Amino acid sequence: MKILALDSATAACSVAVWADGIVLAVERTIQERGQAEALLPMVERVRDQAGLDLVTIDRLAVTIGPGHFTGLRAGLATARGLSLALGRPLIGITTLAAVAAGVPASEWPGAVIVVALDSKRAELYVQAFDERLRPLTSPAARQAADIGAELLRLTAPRYVLAGDAADALAAVLLAAGAVVHTTAPARPDAAVVAALAAVAPLPGEPPAPLYLHAAETTSPRRAPPAV
Amino acid sequence: MLILGIETSCDETAAAVVDGERNIRADIVLSQTELHTPHGGIVPEIAARAHLEHLDHLIGRALKEAGVSFADLSAVAATGGPGLIGGVIVGVMTGKAIAFARNLPFLAINHLEGHALSARLSHDVEFPYLLLLVSGGHCQLLIVEGVGRYMRLGTTIDDAAGEAFDKTAKLLGLGYPGGPAIERAAKSGDPARFAFPRPLKGRPGCNFSFAGLKTAVRQQVEATLEEEGAPLSPQTVSDLAASFQEAVADSLVDRTRRAIDIFRERYQLGRALVVAGGVAANTRLRQRLSDLADSEGMRLVAPPQRLCTDNAAMIAWAGIERLRLGLTDGLDFSPRPRWPLDPNAPKVIGAGVKA
Repeated sequence: MKILALDSATAACSVAVWADGIVLAVERTIQERGQAEALLPMVERVRDQAGLDLVTIDRLAVTIGPGHFTGLRAGLATARGLSLALGRPLIGITTLAAVAAGVPASEWPGAVIVVALDSKRAELYVQAFDERLRPLTSPAARQAADIGAELLRLTAPRYVLAGDAADALAAVLLAAGAVVHTTAPARPDAAVVAALAAVAPLPGEPPAPLYLHAAETTSPRRAPPAV
Repeated sequence: MLILGIETSCDETAAAVVDGERNIRADIVLSQTELHTPHGGIVPEIAARAHLEHLDHLIGRALKEAGVSFADLSAVAATGGPGLIGGVIVGVMTGKAIAFARNLPFLAINHLEGHALSARLSHDVEFPYLLLLVSGGHCQLLIVEGVGRYMRLGTTIDDAAGEAFDKTAKLLGLGYPGGPAIERAAKSGDPARFAFPRPLKGRPGCNFSFAGLKTAVRQQVEATLEEEGAPLSPQTVSDLAASFQEAVADSLVDRTRRAIDIFRERYQLGRALVVAGGVAANTRLRQRLSDLADSEGMRLVAPPQRLCTDNAAMIAWAGIERLRLGLTDGLDFSPRPRWPLDPNAPKVIGAGVKA
């Protein structure tokens, strides 16, 4: 199975071509912005480096968030456009699952694996997984103190924390006396996204973004007079 | 030549297929009005989300309606700005992805150029021509010298004309979007009952201003409420709407007359006055501009209403015009929230920086 995967949902950008467990080509950058400019040229370079003929792709894969709204929409719009034009199914993977799957397997045994991602707001995007990467909690946007208390109730012998907001959550767990170990990765990686997509069921619809925050709306500054 | 056009710069998600013989083969517009109405105006984040949710489905439908497949396309054109950046990103990325996947040229279209060239899709109009572009986000007078070549003669120093319509409609409790609502109410109103100011009328130059007019309407509403008590009678609301609409028309006609003088001084050939943008859908305004054109020996060209409000057919058409000149864009094109048609136009004090 051949998969083209991409991610631009957090402060990073990556593209990978994956075939039956082997990463044929991958490119990664750390970047807060500019994904709309960088993503397609990166896809083009990775395609060329992998010697890939686009029509031989079986699946496409993309991160759907939670993350930065602008970047995740850039990635999803790109992936949905590719899927439509190539007539190939698109698999959506959450950023939290992608980061969790990037944690080295040697760290899994006996641990609760917690992914915490920066949301550019007061809350963190958080999800906990067991030692076989099965979800223990749902993806959520929570204050570090609140989610910390909930995680402590899992009374794990060991917490393995990943994601670019892992430090903020680690501080809360450490203060409560838990055994905490922070590890890589900080952000999703398209090669991991591809591997997850290879075993995912095919969706009937193009994947939708996972924002976790309702759209911000501003109310009118001054109410109109009653007429 | 067959081009797929994509438009996502404001609150309409749109996809269209247009050919080189000026046939609109498919033209689908999905309005988000219902999503924004409860908020009394367009909410950028809501708009961006809706564009992403619908755009790929709309493109599939447009191709199907046109009876063509991706293999039949010559290029993909998408609005690259100016506009609400969240939506523009969705359209640009989708367009670039399709172009890349099918190995087609990509064209990033200035939304304003889409409006500016739409008259050449609906009518036989040669360059140069004078353009009055009036929409919810823009109010400009431009000389269209050619594809990609514009000279701005005037712009608004505060609100766009469409904004003034929206805000006045809200004030009068007529709802959103304001343009059609004001026009409906004004039909049975007396345009002479309230003497609203004609902003900048008689002043040199071709700039526009609508903020003062908006304030005058508000003050009149408050004064009338005091006199007649709440709620205002439907007739008074209609009179307010008609008086406001006439003031806007007077102002636009006065500024356009000045622009005609400048245009004629520079070009002996051009005789077309093109009006485009959402506000150009206003029948009263079209009538007034038609009268002006007649008295000045010009020909008024107003694209059909469907091409005046935001749509993707005009984006596809601008794509055709640019593709013919080889003006394609790279896959590294970066969406542009601000993108003036005439980058050399002097900055106007008080004007927004968008365009």
